Amino acid sequence: MTSSHQGQEGHHPTFRQYLLVATVLFVITIVEFLLIWPRAGIVDSLGASKIPLLVVLSAIKFAIVIMFYMHLKFDNRLFGTIFLAGLGLGFAVVVAVLVLFFALEGEPRAYAEARAVAYDEHGVEQVKEEVVQPTLVPTLPSVQPTTEAPSVAADTPTPEATAPDAGGGSAELIAQGQALFAGGGGCGGCHTVDGVTAGVVGPDLSHLGTDAATRKPGMNARDYIEESIRNPEAFVATGVPGAIKGVMTSGITSGLNDEQVASLVEFLLAQE
Amino acid sequence: MAHAVDPGHASEAEQTTTGLNHRKLLMWVFLGSDCLFFGALIATYMVYRGQSLNGPYPIDIIDVPVTTISTFVLLCSSFAMVQALAATNANDQRGIKIWLLVVILLGATFIGFQMYEFNAFKNEGLALGTNLFGASFFTLTGFHGAHVTLGIIWLLGLLIISFKGRLGPATALDVELAGLYWHFVDIVWIIIFTLLYLIAGFDVGPGPTPGG
Repeated sequence: MTSSHQGQEGHHPTFRQYLLVATVLFVITIVEFLLIWPRAGIVDSLGASKIPLLVVLSAIKFAIVIMFYMHLKFDNRLFGTIFLAGLGLGFAVVVAVLVLFFALEGEPRAYAEARAVAYDEHGVEQVKEEVVQPTLVPTLPSVQPTTEAPSVAADTPTPEATAPDAGGGSAELIAQGQALFAGGGGCGGCHTVDGVTAGVVGPDLSHLGTDAATRKPGMNARDYIEESIRNPEAFVATGVPGAIKGVMTSGITSGLNDEQVASLVEFLLAQE
Repeated sequence: MAHAVDPGHASEAEQTTTGLNHRKLLMWVFLGSDCLFFGALIATYMVYRGQSLNGPYPIDIIDVPVTTISTFVLLCSSFAMVQALAATNANDQRGIKIWLLVVILLGATFIGFQMYEFNAFKNEGLALGTNLFGASFFTLTGFHGAHVTLGIIWLLGLLIISFKGRLGPATALDVELAGLYWHFVDIVWIIIFTLLYLIAGFDVGPGPTPGG
């Protein structure tokens, strides 16, 4: 042999063996084609099981080529080890990327859309235009406190003790609170309330009316919400995403007057 | 080693720490690393599969029968390649030239099929930037086509050398390395053909892909 120091190189297949290998590869390819070609009529009866079948068939072809055409079956094992290491790493890359995109959160597009956040401050501006106006416009033209308010106020059992000078019922107060929350108050820049704002810095307040009752032991929902607005650092809830001491301070809310605080409390209490 | 060999081929008789030829070892290292290259492209295709928001979609344009024929062409070229190496080992000068030429012609035929396919896709409205399908499809199959093209150039070089009578048992490794590269390109196509054509070739528009 030409390279006797390489040991086992003398075992190259013969012409007939190569022809046999080529024939096997051809036959497998024909089978693969027939499996998926609609007019062959096999694909319908296979259903989803065609995929593992095709993967196995192509893996067999792959193995035959590297074993016989590329002589790994007859050559030094180190060659095969090196190649299979690269092949294994390449396969790991494929699996890792697929797991990242699919197994964790389903469809990547749905994942992205569910977590889409408005860019920078413009997000707050958009909320002002899109959400506040639709709620204010229907409310303000129909300001007829004596006829409108009682019918809606009947829904809320809570007495309006905190808003003595509001002049209207809780529905109006809630609307004021919502306008303040999403607009001038700036709360929505950090907090989410479903359908109103989409801030992601602080806790999601979409169900605060329900949650607040159990957040702080010995304090009811109304008092807890008011305390959390006037003095945010008095109590920081544990286990609530975004609730971090020192992020929201009383300096942020000190500019609110009593009426504004009352409207925010009513609005947040209504988020059940 | 004081072998009386042509100095240009002295490397064939060199002693190495592994007892293996370093050129051949390096070729296998390269092929192993190329698995990572194609693995990344294949993963990208599979992640983007079914995510295109506008057509054309695979079912509109993928032509499985035509690509099955080009797959046969590439399989045949691999068979011709092992015959070229066998002829080199047997010092069959006529056989070397004929089989190398057959490999080159079959490889060029495969590239011809790919050019026809790319052109047909372009006429149907699918370009690299049309949608995610176009981007991932052309990138993956295009890089494979580039590998085949490189292989053809390599083999053309060997063919020219063979006409000068310089290929034979002493230089069989030159042919063997080209063959390893050529067969690797073949096995990459085996995977691409199965995934992109047989499995994903009938994918329809947006929404979950059937069965996978």
